[in-house]
Amino acid sequence: MKTARQRFTFLPAVLLGTFVAFLVPWLWSRQNSLQLGDPALVTGWWLFAVMLFLGAFNARKKLSMLPLGNASTWLMIHVAAGLLTLALFWLHTGSLWPTGLYERVLAALFYTLGFSGIVGWIMQRVYPRQLSDTGVEVIYERIPSEIAELREKAEALVLNCTKETGSETLARHYLETLHWFFCKPRFFANHALSGGKKARAWYRQQCDAVRLYLNEAERSFLDRLTLLAERKAEVDFHFAAQTLMKRWLLLHVPLTAAVMLLVVWHIVLVHIYAL
Amino acid sequence: MAATDTSTPVTRPQRWDQPFGPEVTEADVARLLARPEIAAIRADRFPARLPLHEILRNDARIVRFQPGDLIVREGDYGNSAFLILSGKVRVVLPPGLPREILGRHEVRRKGWWRSLAQLWKNRSVPEVRAASDSTEFFRKSEGSSEQRVFLQDVPAILDRNKTAVLESGALFGELAALGRVPRTATMFAESESELLEIRWQGLREIRRFDDGWRRMIDERYRTNALRAHLLATPLFAGLDESALSQLTEHTLFETYGAFDWHVSYQQLQGAEAVAHEPIIAAQGDHPDGLLLVRAGFARVSVKLGHGRRTLTYLGAGDQFGLEELYDAWRAGQPRSLETTLSAVGYVDVLRVPTDALEKLVFGKLSAPPRRLAAAAARPLAQDALLEWLVDERFINGTQAMLIDLDRCTRCDDCVRACASTHEGNPRFIRHGKTFDHWMVTNACMHCADPVCMIGCPTGAIHRSEQGGTVVINDNTCIGCSTCANSCPYENIVMVGIRDTGGRALVDPRDQKPILKATKCDLCSGQLGGPACVRACPHDALQRVDFRDLAVFGNK
Repeated sequence: MKTARQRFTFLPAVLLGTFVAFLVPWLWSRQNSLQLGDPALVTGWWLFAVMLFLGAFNARKKLSMLPLGNASTWLMIHVAAGLLTLALFWLHTGSLWPTGLYERVLAALFYTLGFSGIVGWIMQRVYPRQLSDTGVEVIYERIPSEIAELREKAEALVLNCTKETGSETLARHYLETLHWFFCKPRFFANHALSGGKKARAWYRQQCDAVRLYLNEAERSFLDRLTLLAERKAEVDFHFAAQTLMKRWLLLHVPLTAAVMLLVVWHIVLVHIYAL
Repeated sequence: MAATDTSTPVTRPQRWDQPFGPEVTEADVARLLARPEIAAIRADRFPARLPLHEILRNDARIVRFQPGDLIVREGDYGNSAFLILSGKVRVVLPPGLPREILGRHEVRRKGWWRSLAQLWKNRSVPEVRAASDSTEFFRKSEGSSEQRVFLQDVPAILDRNKTAVLESGALFGELAALGRVPRTATMFAESESELLEIRWQGLREIRRFDDGWRRMIDERYRTNALRAHLLATPLFAGLDESALSQLTEHTLFETYGAFDWHVSYQQLQGAEAVAHEPIIAAQGDHPDGLLLVRAGFARVSVKLGHGRRTLTYLGAGDQFGLEELYDAWRAGQPRSLETTLSAVGYVDVLRVPTDALEKLVFGKLSAPPRRLAAAAARPLAQDALLEWLVDERFINGTQAMLIDLDRCTRCDDCVRACASTHEGNPRFIRHGKTFDHWMVTNACMHCADPVCMIGCPTGAIHRSEQGGTVVINDNTCIGCSTCANSCPYENIVMVGIRDTGGRALVDPRDQKPILKATKCDLCSGQLGGPACVRACPHDALQRVDFRDLAVFGNK
């Protein structure tokens, strides 16, 4: 695996490039303002160029058959360039929040886009480690069948318990509570925000609630059922984290398209009416 | 009370339940026993459970070749040797035949335009092939349904290449079969020929129980390979010609473990697998020679509690027992082995006798470093990873796909990149065995000991000339699944192929789908190396050689 040093080989160059990419238009716009020019035109075009470059990352992903550099280097530049666009946006508009309605819509989408990028980046840094800590590894598309398998095992266990002990206590409790848990992924928000603490507390509570009314033989079935619930909670966490890591792009990419569309129209309007 | 019946009685599988070839009859065996090469074998030396007669019946088969039929190809891994019964066989001398004649293909790297064109040329359905791609290389072998690759113009080949003739009574292929090393030359039938093919199990028994065959095989090994191997061993680098000759003369060669070790690997795991490993040298025993690993892998372990702790593993070129032998020589009194050496799979070892070492080598040697003592002093937890790698036999991988799950976002960009460079179908599954936060995925590891290459009837699966990547020639793959069944790691997938219209290609005789073996080829035809590695935005995926454990140390 690459060492941290190898991974960040290009970081100084990327940071320097980003700094220069901001410094040059900033100095130029200051100079241009002093000469009573219109610096917004140049900063706007520069901002647009950087945004096009940001969008090129998606194209790089589609062109994996070409030696266009490692996607990891692209991502590093993408993050740096994303932060640069925020600075360039403020330089271009001269404020945090523009005045016109169209510009406000554009700014709102732009900020949402930037926010989604930052949130996505943070999720990609936080969730993988938490997922590997579960000790369970499951492919996203296989999660429904994994849950179905766990449910079948839980139901077989409960039926066996009834058959072997002659008592329906555990089966009745299962139908009233745990069956709901085993049906499909549960506690999505809790898994996404706090790693599923509530989910674990919930199934433990359900298991403890019935323990009082079971004999020794039934308790051994309950113990095995608890282990299945534990595994189910881990799979649920995978579902929540993997869903968010996959789906945030469904927000980020369409937002990119929407912003680019508005930007192009903005450029057309500026060139027709404002110049 | 009647006991609960939880077992199903079956006949215990026996060694010869699956004979090498079903067609060896009693008359064939009688004919073989009458041949001078086999008549010379002392049948009375064979134990009652392994009679020569049964070895010939079950571990051998009679194969007929037409002129031009390829018998073995240079670079193939084989598990059998051949004795010529009749006809003439040609051995192609260096530089050998062009690879395309052997039914292999040169991987040509795509240019920028052809690489880009994959964007629109990849079909909407995966695994599309032209229907006529596969037929030109094959013909049916006489008397069986087996397909063979054949040479199309034998006289021209004889004109253009240096060859030598082998005639009735000649034995070849035994070193590759016993040593699990690639075939060193291509052989083809010049005239109609009949050969006795003996699989490695039978050959091993004959060598074991018959002095004549053992002497012959050992002598050929000494002449052809042993000297070169000893020369390449750093320990013997300073020896003069006469010392090296003496060493060559006294060195023994041995094999341990099963050739088809993938079967036991799939059945046994963990401590049970360790317990079943054949012991080459046991801790506490007195060493009678230095062991040099020539092929395969061996585990070095020490007793710990009720189990054995793995300290390291040895591969081709490594040695075992030097520290103890050297200390014993220095101290002038015997020393027992501090560790156990056991075969992980199939191992081919050379045993250099102690007296030869003392006489020829130790005087010129400085004290060897104490590597194993340092290894034994490591905390147990530190070795868990090594233990796992050896147990799972991942040490075999030279280009394994390792994913750091602490960095992997499960985005599948690697899978999509692989699909886009391989006709729309990825050549690996982003899933596999995990240890801590590491995952070794189901992607071809391009093994040092490629079990998959043993038994391929057409040589379609082979090592490429560029870097030794294990690749499959799609044109000569007949879809027999031998490689997929042999791969211990389940990294080869058989796929049904389609025509350019998207319709499944089927055999008109039985309507069964035409299959092809597919696996990771390290993007050998693509620009820029493995697309999966380049496509990972988080540097979570690497292709690694597990001989370098440092790959795990860096986070």
